Amino acid sequence: MDFRFSEEEEAFRKDVQEFIAEEMTDEIRSKWLGGLLDTPVRQEFVTKMSKRGWLAMGFPEEYGGSGKSMPLAQYILNDELHKAQAPIVGKNLGVVVNTLLHHGSDQLKQEFIPRILRNEIQWALAYTEPEAGSDLANMQMRAELDGDEYVLNGTKRFITSAHFADYMWTGVRTDPDAAKHQGISLVIIDVPTEGMTLSPMNTIIGEQTNDVFFDNVRVPKERLVGELNQGWRYITEALTYERFAMTSFAPTIRKFKRLIEWVKTTEMNGKPMKDDPVVRRKIAHLAVLVEAGRMIDLRCVCEAVRPDYVPVNEAAMNKMWGGIVETVLTDEALDIMGPYGYLWHNGGHAPMDGDMVDDYLWAGHQRVAAAGVDLSKNIIARRYLGLPAS
Amino acid sequence: MDMEFTEEQRALQTTARSFLATECPTSVARAMETSESGFSQELWQKMADLGWLGLVHDADAGGAGMGNVELAVLAKELGRVLCPSPYIPSAILAGGAVAAAGTGEQKQRLLPDIISGKTVVAFALQEENTYFDARSVNATATANGDAYVLNGTKMFVEFASAADRVLVVARTAGAPPASEGLALFLVNPNDVNVRLEPLSTVSRDRQFQMVLDGVRVEADDVIGTPGEAWSALEGVIERGVVALCAYMVGAAERIHEMATDFAKERVQFNRPIGSFQAIQHYLAQSITEILAADTTVFYAAWTLDEGLPSREIVAKTKSFAGDTFRKATDIGTQIHGGIGYDESMDTSLFLRRGKQLQLSMGSTGYWEDVIADELLGPVEA
Repeated sequence: MDFRFSEEEEAFRKDVQEFIAEEMTDEIRSKWLGGLLDTPVRQEFVTKMSKRGWLAMGFPEEYGGSGKSMPLAQYILNDELHKAQAPIVGKNLGVVVNTLLHHGSDQLKQEFIPRILRNEIQWALAYTEPEAGSDLANMQMRAELDGDEYVLNGTKRFITSAHFADYMWTGVRTDPDAAKHQGISLVIIDVPTEGMTLSPMNTIIGEQTNDVFFDNVRVPKERLVGELNQGWRYITEALTYERFAMTSFAPTIRKFKRLIEWVKTTEMNGKPMKDDPVVRRKIAHLAVLVEAGRMIDLRCVCEAVRPDYVPVNEAAMNKMWGGIVETVLTDEALDIMGPYGYLWHNGGHAPMDGDMVDDYLWAGHQRVAAAGVDLSKNIIARRYLGLPAS
Repeated sequence: MDMEFTEEQRALQTTARSFLATECPTSVARAMETSESGFSQELWQKMADLGWLGLVHDADAGGAGMGNVELAVLAKELGRVLCPSPYIPSAILAGGAVAAAGTGEQKQRLLPDIISGKTVVAFALQEENTYFDARSVNATATANGDAYVLNGTKMFVEFASAADRVLVVARTAGAPPASEGLALFLVNPNDVNVRLEPLSTVSRDRQFQMVLDGVRVEADDVIGTPGEAWSALEGVIERGVVALCAYMVGAAERIHEMATDFAKERVQFNRPIGSFQAIQHYLAQSITEILAADTTVFYAAWTLDEGLPSREIVAKTKSFAGDTFRKATDIGTQIHGGIGYDESMDTSLFLRRGKQLQLSMGSTGYWEDVIADELLGPVEA
């Protein structure tokens, strides 16, 4: 048992910190966990990381990887990026590259993996539909083979990166007669392709997401990922990677530390807020919940780097606890602030410039995105505890 | 970063689990609730023979020289069966304090008997209306030649009536909250000037109020240098608290298993109740908390073994493990439905200990105050 990172890992962490200190700007900084690569400066920032070989680590040389493996490198990299509110590298690498490596044809591996590792292309993940939310396997968008092409018709919803992505990683129904989990396939679609229409949706946290409509969109059949009708398996496997990438505790820890600093430097009724016994209890209780989260996170990391092991349960626990703690933290923080807690940006009186209000709204997003708190509990109950189907 | 047990740790876990399954099923915990001493002398001797009482003691005292991680491995197993024994007070707290503060002669004289199980030593720290903090000790020790005379009242002294000796924390100088002036004394619980008043607890274990009314302690039984016991006590208490947390996590794991098994078997509305999401979500959240508490316990134990700053993590561990254990017993009992509240069911053993241990060795609130001190600094006068 050793809770330390190795010397090699610590050295890598220091490299990343130095890189961030040199390259990070306000323009790159994103309020949100895993900030999107939606602007040229953010993409340029990640490209600089790719030039250092940080995206290629652990992946095979024949697809542009460095071959050199440090199992915790991606975790350390994202951990530091999260702390700095910089764009992370989790989605493309975790979902697309891992899935292609395990299940993609050699042609798809050659075509996409090297360009992803050089950060030349951006991706949107497209699974959700109006009638396929938490019941994701209910996706209805049809893909019918016509000659050498699939013809796609239907609607995708909450496709967050669609307005700047080059490719869409898309779940489609290829066998409408099979049981719902067994008729789904995964295809890669160029963005834009004729027949594809985007309709933006602005969320309460100010982040754009999109509905995407497909009207006879044609996709070459070589763009099928893995085997026909096996898409559900690939998607659930990849959701685990996504859940894991999205639930680093670094942002929660950063918010908590900021709250502590604010409490230490604020007075209420002429007395230091930090001496208020109720505030002290709240801070201490939050510290315990955050520490527990950090431990689940590390437990998840240790499991995730085991070869050929997909940490389904650990990722679900991480996701669930992350949603709960983020909610309690932001709710208690605003509660400590009293009416100042509802002041939002640019008003001059808002503690932390109203960021905690954003964080409160974000917490709701955290509880529902990429399998929310309740779905995570279902996964833990069924897969970890072996409880019977409901 | 590596959370795997070593082979030695795994072996300790396996041995402990199979030994306790045979020698200490939960019927022992139940039987001891109505026994005179509160623990089984026979089981205690077997635990000593397995080397458990000396697990963390140095080899030259007859111990195995293992660390806090191994202690946590063992304490978790003790917790799974709710093993009733003076393990933490005698082997860890009193034994540990003698090892940390005692003179060479005292260690040689006292530790082998503590480790072999021949001597049970209770531990008397907390007092009336004070926290579980050595610095709040009011009991006085007044020098009388080479000897000292003790006066004061201790609370929550576990197994005091069955113990051969009680290690008492008292002041030779200073007043709360000074850490200077604390000293350790071995007291005979049968001394005419000691009065033991049994406390009735929800776990039905043996705890006492211990009134010291002019108890004379000879020089031999004054442990270490009077007035300088604080640093030894601080380390020993942290070790004992983490061991208690491991015990609670083991017990939480067990009640959760019981509830999960029950939910799979119990049929209502023509299906197992474990198929209902209401039940599934309780169990899913509870197991996540238990695993988080488990990792926190081992992280705290590892921190102690590495000699890293430990006060904050020990405080967080006690808060979280205590809350998690309590909740696990509450939910675990609830999932059993009406039968869970039957006194003869094991759920009742866990439920009653769930609340008691959360409040033992510093309640959640006490340790939250410690965390606040660490994060925000002390309250200004």
